[in-house]
Amino acid sequence: MLTQYYAWLAILLPLLGVPAIFVGARISGTLRNGAAVAFPIAAAACCLRLAPLLLHPGQLPLESSWVWVTHPFTLEIGILIDPLSLILALVVSVISAIIAVYCLGYMKGDPGITRFLMLVNLFIGSMLLLVLANNLLLLFVGWKLVGLCSYGLIGFYYQDNREYWIGGPEGEAPLTTPSFCGLKALVVTGVGDLIMLGGILILFYYSGTLNLMELYRTAPQWFPQLAANPGMVVLVSFMLLAGPVGKSAQFPLHEWLPEAMAGPGPVSALIHAATMVKSGVYLVARLMPIFYIGRWVIGCENASLFFTITAWIGALTAFIAATQGLVAKELKKILAFSTVSQIGYMWIGLGVAGLTQSNLIAGTGAGIFHLVSHAVFKACLFLCAGSVIHAAHSIYVTDMGGMRKYMPYTFIAMLIAAVCLMGVPPLPGFWSKDAILLANIEAHHIPIFVLAVVTVGLTAFYTTRMVAMVFFGRESEHIAHLHKEGHTPHEASPVMWGACAVLAVMILVLGALGPKFEHLLRHNFTVNLTETLKLPVAHAAEHGFNYHLLVTILSIGGILAGVLPAWFIYGSGKRDVRLTPGSVFSELYNFFWRRWYIDPFYNKVFIDGTLKLADLVAWRLEEGFDTLVHRRLPVLVTEKMPRAFLRLKTESENFLYIGAYLMAIILVTVGFALWH
Amino acid sequence: MLEHLLLQTILIPALCAPAVIILRRAIGKKAAWIARLGLLYSTVLLLMGCLKLAMGGAALTESHAFAGPAITLDLLGDGISLPIALIINFLCLALSIYADHYIDHRIEAIYGEVDERTAINHYTRFYALFLLFPTGFMGVCFASNLIGIYFFLEILPLPLYFIMAMFGYVDRVRVAMICLMWAVFGAGFFLVGSVIVYYTTGSFAVSSIAAMAGTPAARWAIAMFLITIMAKMAVVPFQVWMPWVHAEHPTCIAGLLAVYANVAVYVMLRLLVIPLPGDFQFFATPLMVLALITMVYGALLTLGQTDIKRFAACSTISQLAYSMLGVCSMTQAGIEGGMFFFLGHIMGKTIIFSTAGIIVYTTGIRDMRQLGGLARKMPLTTALWIIGALGLAGFPPMSSFPAEWIMFTGIFKAGLTGSITKLIVAIAGAAAITLSVVYCFRSVKIIFFGPISERLATDNHVKDPPLSMSLPLFGVAAVAIGFGLYPRFILDLFHQVIGGLPF
Repeated sequence: MLTQYYAWLAILLPLLGVPAIFVGARISGTLRNGAAVAFPIAAAACCLRLAPLLLHPGQLPLESSWVWVTHPFTLEIGILIDPLSLILALVVSVISAIIAVYCLGYMKGDPGITRFLMLVNLFIGSMLLLVLANNLLLLFVGWKLVGLCSYGLIGFYYQDNREYWIGGPEGEAPLTTPSFCGLKALVVTGVGDLIMLGGILILFYYSGTLNLMELYRTAPQWFPQLAANPGMVVLVSFMLLAGPVGKSAQFPLHEWLPEAMAGPGPVSALIHAATMVKSGVYLVARLMPIFYIGRWVIGCENASLFFTITAWIGALTAFIAATQGLVAKELKKILAFSTVSQIGYMWIGLGVAGLTQSNLIAGTGAGIFHLVSHAVFKACLFLCAGSVIHAAHSIYVTDMGGMRKYMPYTFIAMLIAAVCLMGVPPLPGFWSKDAILLANIEAHHIPIFVLAVVTVGLTAFYTTRMVAMVFFGRESEHIAHLHKEGHTPHEASPVMWGACAVLAVMILVLGALGPKFEHLLRHNFTVNLTETLKLPVAHAAEHGFNYHLLVTILSIGGILAGVLPAWFIYGSGKRDVRLTPGSVFSELYNFFWRRWYIDPFYNKVFIDGTLKLADLVAWRLEEGFDTLVHRRLPVLVTEKMPRAFLRLKTESENFLYIGAYLMAIILVTVGFALWH
Repeated sequence: MLEHLLLQTILIPALCAPAVIILRRAIGKKAAWIARLGLLYSTVLLLMGCLKLAMGGAALTESHAFAGPAITLDLLGDGISLPIALIINFLCLALSIYADHYIDHRIEAIYGEVDERTAINHYTRFYALFLLFPTGFMGVCFASNLIGIYFFLEILPLPLYFIMAMFGYVDRVRVAMICLMWAVFGAGFFLVGSVIVYYTTGSFAVSSIAAMAGTPAARWAIAMFLITIMAKMAVVPFQVWMPWVHAEHPTCIAGLLAVYANVAVYVMLRLLVIPLPGDFQFFATPLMVLALITMVYGALLTLGQTDIKRFAACSTISQLAYSMLGVCSMTQAGIEGGMFFFLGHIMGKTIIFSTAGIIVYTTGIRDMRQLGGLARKMPLTTALWIIGALGLAGFPPMSSFPAEWIMFTGIFKAGLTGSITKLIVAIAGAAAITLSVVYCFRSVKIIFFGPISERLATDNHVKDPPLSMSLPLFGVAAVAIGFGLYPRFILDLFHQVIGGLPF
């Protein structure tokens, strides 16, 4: 029981940090800052205290809960410690604690720092609530709170001062204000959330429980009833996936994430690396056993649709986002597209896990492994990006160049993380991405595999382009201008580069331990899924071909195919390529630059369309209705009424209401009496 | 103290009203404290009544001779009526404190610089009229015969009419008349429904309505009552009065207008769903469809508003339909969730409306397009608006979150066990909440975020209001959050009544 207390504490501590920061700020800045890092660090310590359980997965799962609502049905509040929740809790708490430390340096002197630190703590607590919840209701509470915090943090610079606008450069692409970006994130993810809520409620109707372990255990009993209803499994699959699609910024709800970097740098790191987008991946992994049972225990063919949709959404998103990353000019936007793309890889891993019985452990393990490695390297990349933007006074990579001499520590940390993102061995990005590709090819899903390999090349290209444009080549005119103004770029404060360095070291350590870590994950999922949940798995059929070697060759080949042209083009110090107008490359460039026209399409249809419809309702329909009822109707009645009413009209139109109304009452009463 | 608890809660505000008028010469504006103390006392009474029920006590019933022993005022305080009355009474109390500065502002705006005696006359007149609200609301909640309910429903338009005409905004006299006419329109059909009940059962007692079950008259009676209820709740196509009436009222009672409209869902539950579940089933699906249409229509209407008061008014149209959707699902979860959502909504709407009032009070501006950037000058007001928005959009930890969850559990159950239409309504209804999120948080962006205009930036009056205006609203927010974290108190009380229904 004591063990479970650590999980409760991990959730509660950052939540308690919110009032503590508020009170601390009233006393002194030091106390506020102390509270802002102490609570997340304590939460991380609680999670680390639970980490040894991963070495003994047989002791899991552990649960602790109490009744929240008894009528009209029982709802519980509780925590669940199993390999999946524990891994996620460790990722969330440890990375978030490091980011919290970095925040102190980054936000120093900002007048809204107290609000910022409170939101960060609430964000961390909400995310830990989400991953440690033992039932779908509490998970949904965390889910909604995470969305709410992201709204507050993305729109942190709510005054919309020009310096915080994103998009552009001016004249090339529209500029967007932070308050709009926050609203966009809230609404786009909210659409998915509410559709998912419907899916959860349908599950609840059939299963009679929201408790995750009970859902798994009783699935063989209730899933056949769900499957007996034509189309219900398909409907539930779509509805349940809508939430993760929104939160994880997957196609077609991926367009909010690139704008989510309107918030301060550490916010991007939190959203992209440690918290929000990971929640979607987590929920897919959480729901997998239910549909796996439906497919492989009950034999419901439709249940495999859940996995097929997951894998295809992942593959399409990985590819689409990577192409957009190729041409992006904002440093954080390149990383944002990269996040969307990398999350797609995780979805591929989880999707292929349920397509065959032999792939469950490999696919799940690969997807979650990539989640862990991505959390570390993406946090590092975003924190470094924050430092670079701070130093360069610009969000555009075209305004940078040659920054490595000014920011050597940041450069080294960012280089390590970037190489990891590309998937270069022996860093963790290599191990995890290869594991996904391997699981994919073993599931014989060739179109998805091809898309994934092509995306490896694209990833290498945009990453090399980013590093080259920021740190190598000659300095941009903007940097020269900064020199003239006496704002020579400089290394970030020790607390900032220190946080980046810690993450870079973590990347190296995780890389060195990569195969062992992968083995640990697989062992945990084997015990959890096959022994605890008793999911049936089969051994892969023997074949003579060495898929592992093929994947490694293709992966490294893809990296080289991306790195070499990118270095050739951008390593020389070019700020951007000039393409012949009308050429295929130029058209492609424009297509990617305009984000496949998806964002403009959404803006036109959903934003403009809804507002036009609202105007139509408010200013045409309702006003017409109002005129009819409150002005025309009395006049109309007057004209048709006997002369006696004319006198009343001269006194007050309102008497006509009474006349018409009395007539109606009399008619209805007489009609009823006659009928009776 | 608990003796005649129900009657006390009705009579105390009714008796305080003349006391305010009588004592105004002697104690001036302090007369308002008579109203507040009276409401505080009745709120405490109601809380004690709820606690008694929660600890296993029996429902409270009282019968008081009204006009001789033959005509009595019968009252029932059970698991539904007591908690609803408690929250409504608490809101009346909060708004009676909030109104202090606001009504001064309205008197000044309408009547200009008047001598102190005239000002006190206006001020106390407002409070005397204001106290008719709790009288009417408590009566509607507790009355257990149709005449009683009719009587108290008819009391409510009176303070609305007079307060609107005396303290409202630009088009106040015309809109006061519109308000009154719509109330009379609804009440007439209520009367017809009551007559049908009496004609069929020989009694006006609510408990006798069940005797009509299965008869053709039952459907006629339901239809008549439903017209009243839909007109009060501003369900499409009866929504047209709501934006006018809510927008032109002084905002210190606008929260109570939301109660006035929403209490109709309680009447629907008490008169139709509980006694005549089988007959009401005939109307359930069309009403669910109508509720969905109203939710979407109301949300679009809200999105199209530029006037801050009409914005809040139009959102009420959409939000009221959620409760109706829940109750019409004819499932325990749907009804309990729907009633709980009703409470969450009136608390959220009180906060939003009153905060809109604060903005109008401090800036003198109603057009949202002329606002913007207020967060930097009015942080507490911003916090209040956001809390209200969270309540309307159903975010944790507000009470509307568990309410929405439970309500939609019932609605989905109805969809999965009933017709495909109900399932489509359930899915579309859940998705339609997105529109609430959009209009709530878009309003935050328009009013509080972005750059502030020079006029507002330099105007020294643009600042957070006096604590007497914001503290009551924070009190309401605290209660809404409290019930969001611990919904069991209310839900267990509801279940004492709803749990016994045959579905």
